[in-house]
Amino acid sequence: MTDKRKRVRRGKKFMLWSGYALLLILVLPLIPYTIQAASNYYHRPAPVVNPIQIPDPGSGLWRDVRQRDKSYVGTTQVQGVDTGVLINADGEKWRLYRMDTLIPYGAILMGVVLALILLFYFVRGRVRVPDGFSGKKILRFTLSERMVHWFTAFLFIFLGITGLVLLYGRFVLIPLLGPAGFSVTASACKEAHNLFGPIFLFAMLALLITFIKDNFYARGDMKWLVKGGGMLGGHASAGRFNAGEKIWFWLAIILGFALCITGLILDFAVVGQGRQVMELSHVIHSISAVVMIAVSFGHIYLGTAGMEGSFSSMSNGYVDENWAKSHHDLWYEEVRHHTDAVPLKTSVAAGGIAQARREI
Amino acid sequence: MFVQWVNGIFWDIAVVVFVIGIIWRLIAVFRHGTRKDLAEPRGSAVSGAVYTGFSRFLPRPEIRSKISLHVIAGYMFHLGLFVLLLFAAPHIKFAEEHVLGFGWAAMPHWAFVVSAQIAFAGLILLWLQRILNPVTRLISRADDYVGTYLLFLVMLTGCMAMFESYTGLRIAHLLTVELFMVYFPFSSLMHAILFIPSRGYTGSLFGLRGVKA
Repeated sequence: MTDKRKRVRRGKKFMLWSGYALLLILVLPLIPYTIQAASNYYHRPAPVVNPIQIPDPGSGLWRDVRQRDKSYVGTTQVQGVDTGVLINADGEKWRLYRMDTLIPYGAILMGVVLALILLFYFVRGRVRVPDGFSGKKILRFTLSERMVHWFTAFLFIFLGITGLVLLYGRFVLIPLLGPAGFSVTASACKEAHNLFGPIFLFAMLALLITFIKDNFYARGDMKWLVKGGGMLGGHASAGRFNAGEKIWFWLAIILGFALCITGLILDFAVVGQGRQVMELSHVIHSISAVVMIAVSFGHIYLGTAGMEGSFSSMSNGYVDENWAKSHHDLWYEEVRHHTDAVPLKTSVAAGGIAQARREI
Repeated sequence: MFVQWVNGIFWDIAVVVFVIGIIWRLIAVFRHGTRKDLAEPRGSAVSGAVYTGFSRFLPRPEIRSKISLHVIAGYMFHLGLFVLLLFAAPHIKFAEEHVLGFGWAAMPHWAFVVSAQIAFAGLILLWLQRILNPVTRLISRADDYVGTYLLFLVMLTGCMAMFESYTGLRIAHLLTVELFMVYFPFSSLMHAILFIPSRGYTGSLFGLRGVKA
């Protein structure tokens, strides 16, 4: 085996393990919380009832001010958004949503998706290329497409980790770092999350523009779905992107833009948005984030460990001819008969400059 | 103890290594000297050096379309970084209190945030270009990656310490800056200074030979 091939293999191994490490970093903090959340649910204390009624004229006043059932806006000399609201009654609803719904159910959703992936791995194993690798490579993603993908992925992982620290950090990190340590970590993550967030909008726009043309519904997509992408037996034909990839693309676009818009509303509270708009934005932002992170586990799994020969399409841009025939046969036929995209008969290791010349 | 060390002695060491290292590298470059050109000069060496010094800021028309992303990302990163370095309020305050003894007008907070975002986007794109483009991947050395990662850490810790609410975050930023300063003179990061004599030398040779390139 030549040194170059060894280096390429080492590089591939390095990238694969980097992917595993990233996944682990993203997921590890959730495991103890999921266990803790489940345990808390079954061992919750009985509600405390105060049997003695003590008349207190102050409580009546504050009950009125607080307006438990409806939002009340008074008058004031201070001009500004929400200045007429003395106590925001909806704030409590939002707090309860965050603590009692978002945090436990978000952890359960992500945990269940991970468990399903693990189950799938143990039942189905790694999806292999049926006829093995042919050694002939086909360009699947150009340099600019890969740049857009990894730019978005980098920001998504960074924002995902910092966002999860803000959401689950108090349960997972305080036992490890202590309250002071978590306070510093949370502050750092908040600043980084707010700073990188707006860049994600440009990444999403680039992703939409780059990949939209191949992600519209095409004939055969429904058949692919019915056959479960070939998992339920028989071959499922697909074009450049199969129905599953198209669903992920549109989900990522819709949730990604929802994250960006609500994130901007939360990040720049200077354009007149009130508390209710901020609370609603947070609800949409958090649900979108948790769903997108959970679905991305599947995408990351299938793009790396789950499917043999997939990762190279996004690392060096090339896939094996047999991989293309097996997973995207309609696209393969299209590429084979297209004069501008002749299959490149070279190995990645021997590619080097010749490959680069074709690519750029 | 560690905070005092980062704030005090390690800062002094970093400054000394940074300054002496740069001077040492420059002396090493200039000691090479130039070969005597016996040909009759066809133009001015000085005007050639000045022309090349500026003309290299723009890509050559023949390859402009192929490297446009590289050029745009490069400008985004460098301009964003220089604006942050020179006009961020905490940097000006630090320069006034610890280095120069005087300060200047700082940019507003929103400009700080926008500059940081532009610089980060540029740096990430340049890093991706380095690892995804087969040509740049082949010619990149460990030194190039170390420089990129170190700079990313410097910028990241700086942004995390934006409001200076925690000593720990400020110290983390200062520590990465000090590591960066120690690494700078002995790495390809020296291009930030060496590009001037490099372009000047090439340009003066072109000028003497009457080449306009």
